[in-house]
Parts: sequence; C-alpha cells; structure tokens
Amino acid sequence: MGFHQISVKVNGNDEVVTVSSNMTLLRMLRESLALTGTKNGCAAGECGACTVMLNGEPVNSCMVLAVEVDGQEITTIEGLAKDGQLDIVQKTIIEKGGVQCGFCTPGMLISARALLNRNPHPTEEQVVEALVGNLCRCTGYSRIIESVQAAAERS
Amino acid sequence: MANTDTKPGTMNPVGKSVQRLDVMEKVTGAAHYTDDIPFGNALLYGRVKRSTVAHGLIKRIDVSKAKALPGVKVVVTGEDFPNLIGLYLKDKTVFARDRVRFVGEAIAAVAATSEEIAEKAIDLIEVDIEPLPAVFDAEFGASKDAPLIHPDLANYECPNFIFPVPGTNISNHFKIRKGNTEEAFKKCAVIMEKKFRVPHVQHVPIEPHIAVAQVEPDGDVTVWAASQSPFSQRSSFAKALGVSESKIRVIAGYVGGGFGCKAGVTMENVAVALASKSGGRPVKVRLTREEEFFTNFVRQGLIINLKIGCDAQGNVLAMENNQWWDGGASTEYGVNITRAGGYNSSGPFDIPNITTNAMCVYTNHPIGGAYRGFGMSELHAGIIQVMDMLAEKIGMDKVEFLKRNAIQGGDFNVTGMKMHPVGLQECIDKVAKELNFSVKEKASSPTKRRGKGIGIVWKAPSMPPNAGSSAEVRLNEDGSVTVSVGGQEIGQGTFTVMAQIAAEALGVAYEMVKIEGPVDTRYSPYEWQTVASRLTWSMGNAVRRAAEDARKNILEMVAEAWGENPANLDIKNGYVVSMKSEESISLKNIVVYGIPRPGDQGWIGGPVLGRGTFMPSYVTNLDKDTGQGARAVVHYTTGCQGIDIEIDTETGKIEIIKAVSVFDVGKAINPDLVKAQIEGGFIQGMSSAIFEEMKLVNGVMKNPSFVDYRIATTADLPRENIAMFVETAQDDGPWGARGIGEHPMTPTIGVLANAIYDAVGVRVSNPPLSAEKIYLAMLEAGVVS
Amino acid sequence: MTSAHPGLPEFDYVKPAGLKEASQFLAQHAPEARPFSGGTDTFVRMRDGFFNPKYLVDVKGLEGTRVLKIDEKEGLTIGAAIPMNRVVAFAEASRYPLLVEAAKSVASYQLRSRATIIGNICNASPAGDTIGACLAYQGVLNIHGVDGPKTLPLNGFFTGPGKNLLKPGDIVLSITLPVPPKGHAGRYIKLGRNRLSDLSIVGISAMGVKDSSTKSGYKFHLAIASVAPVPFIPAKAEEILANNALNTETIILAAQAAMDAVTPIDDVRGSAQYRKFMVRNLVNRAVTEIMQKLSA
Repeated sequence: MGFHQISVKVNGNDEVVTVSSNMTLLRMLRESLALTGTKNGCAAGECGACTVMLNGEPVNSCMVLAVEVDGQEITTIEGLAKDGQLDIVQKTIIEKGGVQCGFCTPGMLISARALLNRNPHPTEEQVVEALVGNLCRCTGYSRIIESVQAAAERS
Repeated sequence: MANTDTKPGTMNPVGKSVQRLDVMEKVTGAAHYTDDIPFGNALLYGRVKRSTVAHGLIKRIDVSKAKALPGVKVVVTGEDFPNLIGLYLKDKTVFARDRVRFVGEAIAAVAATSEEIAEKAIDLIEVDIEPLPAVFDAEFGASKDAPLIHPDLANYECPNFIFPVPGTNISNHFKIRKGNTEEAFKKCAVIMEKKFRVPHVQHVPIEPHIAVAQVEPDGDVTVWAASQSPFSQRSSFAKALGVSESKIRVIAGYVGGGFGCKAGVTMENVAVALASKSGGRPVKVRLTREEEFFTNFVRQGLIINLKIGCDAQGNVLAMENNQWWDGGASTEYGVNITRAGGYNSSGPFDIPNITTNAMCVYTNHPIGGAYRGFGMSELHAGIIQVMDMLAEKIGMDKVEFLKRNAIQGGDFNVTGMKMHPVGLQECIDKVAKELNFSVKEKASSPTKRRGKGIGIVWKAPSMPPNAGSSAEVRLNEDGSVTVSVGGQEIGQGTFTVMAQIAAEALGVAYEMVKIEGPVDTRYSPYEWQTVASRLTWSMGNAVRRAAEDARKNILEMVAEAWGENPANLDIKNGYVVSMKSEESISLKNIVVYGIPRPGDQGWIGGPVLGRGTFMPSYVTNLDKDTGQGARAVVHYTTGCQGIDIEIDTETGKIEIIKAVSVFDVGKAINPDLVKAQIEGGFIQGMSSAIFEEMKLVNGVMKNPSFVDYRIATTADLPRENIAMFVETAQDDGPWGARGIGEHPMTPTIGVLANAIYDAVGVRVSNPPLSAEKIYLAMLEAGVVS
Repeated sequence: MTSAHPGLPEFDYVKPAGLKEASQFLAQHAPEARPFSGGTDTFVRMRDGFFNPKYLVDVKGLEGTRVLKIDEKEGLTIGAAIPMNRVVAFAEASRYPLLVEAAKSVASYQLRSRATIIGNICNASPAGDTIGACLAYQGVLNIHGVDGPKTLPLNGFFTGPGKNLLKPGDIVLSITLPVPPKGHAGRYIKLGRNRLSDLSIVGISAMGVKDSSTKSGYKFHLAIASVAPVPFIPAKAEEILANNALNTETIILAAQAAMDAVTPIDDVRGSAQYRKFMVRNLVNRAVTEIMQKLSA
C-alpha cells in the first residue's frame, strides 16, 4: 500500500504528515496530529461526530482521505476558540444547556460555525437543515438549535 | 477555579440551575473519552471473530493461519477463558466455547499491531459450526416444543430473587398473585384484552463501546473503558480471569452516551482477555458502529398480553399480565429486567387483583441488557393503550379515568408495598391543562387528521436491594473542595449535581467544588453502577453525608479554637461564623494546616476529610409464588405525558405539534438539568416509538447501520417539547430528590399510539409507529383508499 | 452477516497527471481500479466489502472535472469534482429548480460538501436523488475514454442493476443539462423515514411545462427513485398528462398509472405495497403542485 507525504494547514499551523492511502482525514487528525476532539462515531459519513472544516466547508472527516487534503486547510474543534476566547457558538451552547455527554458536541459546533460563516442569520429551518447530519442521542436537539440561533443574533 | 475573594459564587446552590461543570472541556474538544487516551507504539488493536450462525455447536476452531500472520501478537478463544460470568445470572463466557447462541457472538479474538492486520487475521480464523434448531420468538421459546438453548441452566449461579425454570428456556419466572383476579373479572363491566409486540431496539450512544486493557508487571490488570459501571466491571473482570478484585483496576473517563448499554460488562472482557496474554502490551478493542448495533447489549423485545377490567364507574378491578421477554442468548442482565417487568406490572395504577407472569426467555437473538427505562417503555407501551381503550369503552373522560385509578400515597401497590406520597395527580392535571386535552382541535389541512394522547408511568430503581454508594470530600488549602465519587458522568449531569449537593451541605459556593475524575477503582470510592436513575438519590445521599462529615470536622476544630460549642457555629460562603460571638474565619489554610493554639502552644485540627456512604437497608425480598412483600423497591418516580399530533393521510407521517411531560422528581436539585433530561428523554422515546426497530430475520440483523437504522435528527422534533416537574419530597432523598434519568422516554410509545387512535380512529399498537404502518392500517380500515 | 471494516481496507491512492494517463491506467487495471471523486459512496461500499479496489483513482484534479458554468446555448455543465453544495449555491443553477431541490435532499450538508452529482449517476443508486432531475433535463454525459472524449445521453445510460454504458478507462468528466424549456416548473418529493437526510422510500422527480404540441397543452417528465434498480420513468402516466385535459381527475388517473407501472421490492426502508401507494399519492401531489406553479 502506498504512502504519501502531505502538507496541510490545521488550525492555522503548517503540518507535514506521512499518510497511507487508506488513512482517512479523521484518523490522521486523531492519530498523527493528536487532535482527538474530532470523534469517530460511525466511520460511514452518517453521524457527523467527525465533522471538521475543509477549506471552510464542513465535511465528515471519515469520508475524506488524508492524502486528499494535501495543500488544503482544516479547522477542527480545537481551532474554534481564538486567542483563548470561545467562539460565540461555544458560548451559546453552554448557556442554552445544549451539551450532555459531549460526544456529538465538537462536530455539532463545527457544523454550526460553518453555517454562520456562510449564512450569518439563518432561519430556524436553515439551522435544522445544517445540523441534520449531526446525530445527538442525549439532548433532543432543541437546545442546540436555540444556541445556534442565539449565536446568530449576537454576532 | 473561582476564588471567593474576587468573585461571588453561587451560595446554597441546591434548587438552582447552575452551569454544568464539564462544559468547557466538552465544547473545546479537550474532554477525554477513552478512545482519546494515547498509549504509544506498544498499543495493540483487537478485533473479534464472530458467529454467523444463530445457534450451533462449534466443531472446530483453527487459529493457526491467523497466528502465523506477521503483526499478530495474540489469538484467544473460549478454551482460554472457561469461567461463567454475568451480572445477575452467570450464564455466559467471554467467548463461545462449545456452542454459539447468536449471530455476532464472540468466538475468538486477535490482537495485532494494527487494526488492518487484526481484521485480516480474523478472516483467517476457520470455524466450523453445526447448526442447531434455533429460537427466534420468545413465546415459542418458553414452550415445551422449543429447543433448549442453555441445557445447563439448572447449574447457573444467581441471586435468590431470580427464579430460573430448569429444563426450559425460561431463565426467570416472576409471579404476582394479588387478590383474586378470576373473581374480580366477573365483577367488571368492561374487560379489554390485547397482545402487543415491542421489537428489539438499540441504545445508539454516539460513542461506540471501547476498552483498553493492560497487564502490569505485578500481574494487576488496568482497564480503561467507556463505562457506566467501573466497579461492577472490576468484579466481572476478576471473575472472568479467576483473580480477586484488588488485582483489577478500572479507569473510566467521560462516557459518550450510555443509556444502559455501557452498564455491566460486555465487549470489555475481550480487551482484558487479549491483554492477559499480550506480555504487558496494552490492547484496544473498539466496536464498529455496525458491531455496536447487534453484538453488544440491545433492548430486548417483549411480547405482552394484557387483560384489564373495570367496573361501570371506571374503577380498575383486575389485571392479567403475561410477559415473554426476548432475553436473547444470555440473560445475565435480562433476568432482572423481567423482574422489573413483574413488580411494576400494574403500571402506576391502584389495582386490587393482579395476576402476572413475567418470563425471561432465552432466544437466539442478541443479548438484552439495561436500556433507559429498564423494561418500562415496553411494559407501559401496552398498559397505556389498554387503559385508553377501557376509558373509551365505558365512555369516561380519559383524564378522569387516569386520575381515578392512578396510584396514590398510602395505597398498597402491586407487590403489597405501601406507597410513599406521589404527585401523580398533579402531573396528570398539568399535562391535561398544558395540552388543552379536553378540546378536540382542527387539523391544519383537509388531508390531515389531528389527535391527542395521554398516559401515565412509574418506575422504581431496579437494582439489588443493597446497591451502595460512597463519597469522599476533601478540602484544599485555598478552601476549595474536591469530591470523589464512583458514579459516572455519562451526560446526565451527575457531577454537577454532586457538586451542588456538596456545596450546599458544606456551606461553600458551588464554584468552589470540583468532582475528581476520571473514576478510578483504585482511588475512587465504591459505587454500584450508574444506572436505574439512582445517582442523584443514592450517591447524592453519600455526598451529602460526606460533606456533612467534613463540615462537622471543621466546626469541631474551630469550636475548640474559639472555645465555643460547635452547635453555635455555621459555615457560610466559605467562612466559619459564630452565631454567638460573631467571629468568622476563612476556610482557607485551616482546612489543611489546622489552627494554631494561642501562644504557639501547639495546633488544632488538620487536613479535613469527610466520608459518607449510603445503602438502602429496608428493601425486602418478595415471595416466590405471589410476588408480595413489605417493600420491593426504594421508591417510585411517577409522571404523565401527553402528545398532540397531526397525521398526513396521504403518507401516514406523524407530525408532533406539542409534547408535554411532567414528572414528580421529589426535588429538582438543578431544575434546568431536570428539564434537559425530560426533553432529551422524550426525543429518545419518540425516536424509538416512530423510527426504531432492529430488523431481525432468522437471528440476523438486517439494518445494522445509521443508513438503515434511523434515529431522530434535528428535522424530526415536535414544534413544542414541554418539560415540567412537580416536587413531592422523597423521605430519604437528598432534599427530597429522586431520580428522573430514565423515566421521560418510558410513556412515549403508548401515548403516541393513543394519539394516533384519536386522530384516525385506528389503533396502531406495535412500535415502530412508522408512517408505513399507520398508512397501511388506515388503508385496511378504510380511512383512506 | 454484515461485518464492516473498522476503517478503510488497504488500497493505493492514484492521482493521475492528465486525462490520457488516467484513462489508460483505469483501462489497464480494470476492474481493480476505480475512479472516484467525492468518495462518499465508494468509501462506504469499501468498508462494507462491496467494492474491493486495488487502486482508487482520484479524478478531481483532471481537466474538465472542475467546471461549473452556464452557457446560454449549451446549458448548465457540472463537473465530476463539483460537490452538490456548490451546485445548490450556484446562482445560475436556479434555472434548474428540480435539480437544486433534489440535490438539497441528499443526506446531510457535510456529506454534500463531498458528494457529487456525477457520483450519484455513476454509482446508480436506485435511491439516487439527483438522477431523476438529470433525466428530466435530458442530461448528456461528457466522458473521456481510452479513445478520447465522447458524449452519452443519460437517457439509456443505465443498462441494468449496477450496470451502465461505461467502458474500462471511461471517466465521466461532467454532465451538461441543456437549456430547460422556458417557464417550466419542477418538484422533487422525497419520502424518507426521517423528514430530512434519509434515503428515499420513494422519490418523485416531476417536471412540467406548457407545450402546445400536446392535447393537454402541457408536457410532463416524471422519474421515480427507489422503486426499481434505476430511476423509473412512468411513460403511461406522462402520456395521460399529455393527452387529457389537465384536471384533478386526469392527475388521479396519471398517478394511478404510475402506481400500476412500478414493481418495487420490500426492503428495510419500506414494503412494496407502501411504496406503490406512495408513488400514487406523491405523483399526484407533485403534479398538482406543478400545475399550481404553472398556472400562477
């Protein structure tokens, strides 16, 4: 099986990583770069726990090969807070009580941030659509949806 | 950690919706779950060889090719681990030995230097199995015609409240014989009888099961696991390996959702088995999502036949309740779910005459384990519907019918236990009012039908009578407080609630308290399991006692220094104050270094450590033949749920307009967390009621993925999901609190079925209450053509 | 028994420098080499052991795969490397409302950041939401093969379950959807178990336009997903809608004809019986809504 050396910018840092052909972006982040905030929930593009931003767009990192992100930019949950300040979506999900077990939270927050980047003032239905690929079994979702709306109102 | 000198904290936090303790870690990705712990290059990866046959005799296992594959370090089979294990009934082994009993059962396992190699090695293991006739239906399984799945049932070890029937597939037969059911039915004006089937479902935590095990040089075993039960696991690992508990250490970090499936022990045993032969290298075993669906605990299926009768005034007089629980290939945990099905079998109704047979039946299906509600979603699915049918049949208002028959404080319930005060009437009133239940509302379009449903539930913590809790409270130099517990933060917010309890009992601000984690059986105090909605009540009592113990030590120290009576002292906002002398002193430093006597004449006090334990002492066994006894359980949490829906008659799709859930929580230590449990529990209940079913065909699950096993998403929510509570104090709960974790999902199947009936006049009774089932039922009934 | 691989099985990732090299490599290594773009379908099927390629050939860098353009004469061209979200966000794509609606219905936003319309077509999922729209708009595939470029109309492209007209070495670079008839209206109605994000139990692609050459004065293109191995075109229903005065009764007749023509199967998402009724009810709903749009 082939190995490839790639250069990738992760959370603003330039990284050079050697990856095998079959290594997913998810595995690269967790195993090669020790960015374990991105979670593995199904490895099939269905649960959204592994959602990261690839050039600003949310993707399931289990559905992207590491070798494909050569020369690209990645943002993970670890890169969401800036200069020690939580992103507004992080603040509002705390305030609204949208966190329980926390396993879906990183992917959920990446999807939320990506939504607000492309659409700063989404309707409730647009929030629902943007988060439909992030499964949560604890919260019943409504507090998470409210938190994204609150973040939009405040930014 | 906040400092009381610079920032006012939250004093007297019990009853306040303080912010969760764990959120900063969880929103930044810093929270460590078991899969996030680095183990370095020594780590081996385990994979499991599983049975593809539902029932059969293992004729040959050949692991030689797997062992020869470069990178493979360990191969283990059932031969290596003969001991019988199980939480309540010791009926299983880590790996199948001479017989396989379900598709997905572990037969062998491999540890290799990479997951890919381990996966290849699994394919190289050769297994010959001679198929045997199998059992895929619990009712058939309980019959004399069924092939025996566990011929050795008579020899299995179990506690004295489990009643196996040797020579059959019935691993527990729990009976209620209260009053005279036969005679009572003769007096009934109306009798309704209906049989229900509740399918197997899966818990679907977003974090799949994971465990890492390592053997230390002295032979001690350390296990890191996503676990609701570090202490029960320690005990089980010890039994599996044939060593004592002190040789095992379980470290359990944050859990990415449990809902019962991470209680007890399942796949963690495989990691331990592999590590026991890996020469000290750690071994990680992680279930794929597909394996999560059918190889580990599932919620067992239930076939229940209910016959309930009432007199002309609407008083329920008699119930006959026959339950066949589809326990699966092992019923180590399922036997106790069956027991819960039995001693709760009346539902929250005052019924004088009851005959119940709750049977746990071995089948060749996946293994049933605890799932949020512990049998109560399945049981109430039927009871809620039959009560609805009865009310309608005698022409009584449904709310009035429920209120007339709902259990009250002082009633002697199904097991003869005298009920403690419950606020169920108030719960029913609140739901009826909030949902405008008596008003039939108009549908939003001619192709839609509108309807409402209501139902009530109860649930007691299901556990051994002596499930214990313990806690330690330590004070630090800065006056902050560290609380050690053995219960787990699985998302419900228990660490936050424990910090509130400790702060309140001690007299410090909530922000001054930290809960020590991860739970580590080497250092953490004992906790039976994080299950049964028992932590706020049981562990809460232990934490309160530990904090009170620490408080007592502090007050005695200061009283001695000041020459006062401790009774005149209090701790307020981190200061000891005298109500007599009005002196005050900060907890800082004195709680570690003590207080100097005047004139350098020695010291008083020293490091403050509080200890507290709690174990219910009053739960009695029930009579084997009648199920009657003084006190079957510690207490019941009761509640009511109502749902207002519309059905699209062109597709059968349900839209929930409003859901209202009201539970009697005794005392809400953290009202917002209580509401969050109720909201989330409702959605989980709704999801299982509408979407979820493990499609088992000849023992094979046909939909083991999120593509084919759908759960609710953001797009499937009710327009309104209202959560409320009432507070009728529990006599032995901390500040009156009792549990609420599981209950919110238990009414939903039945209540939704009642709403569907109200909307379209057709009873679709067996979940999942899918659009397809509703449509085809409407078609058959001529509601649509 | 389903036993999915924990990660992706081993393979070699190949990124060819040019089209010629890519086609040659794929032809030489057929069937062990597979082209892929977004990978959302390919990776899942590899985990399940359904695909076992030795080589995965990434077509995203190839010439002609990154095109997303509108041409007043030729219509809309969507490259194989263009994820569905970009199609949805492309302002000019709104001239193809049926396609946009269908693309938006696929899975989740983050999956659509990778999933492509060409992938949907090449993998020929019976639940492929966008295929019906591409058929209704009479799409043409732009292909590069060992003998150079060629085109194939989408209509007739599918030859059977999992089969199509592609030959070893063929790479679908893009699809061109000709300029749609003026004033047309489209509707994609997807019935899933969940309100959004599920695969379809049935998916109804419907396009209608005023047309003076028919008796009814309207022409309809219908395609139904998840009732056959490839999207099913209910020709008789289309004829009924063309040949009769368009009123409620005609729509009911057409919907019934669609129902009578489909022969779906039972699977974990739904029974054949339910599917047939849903074809009837949702064809009716789609055509009715299109008529409302056209007469508005």
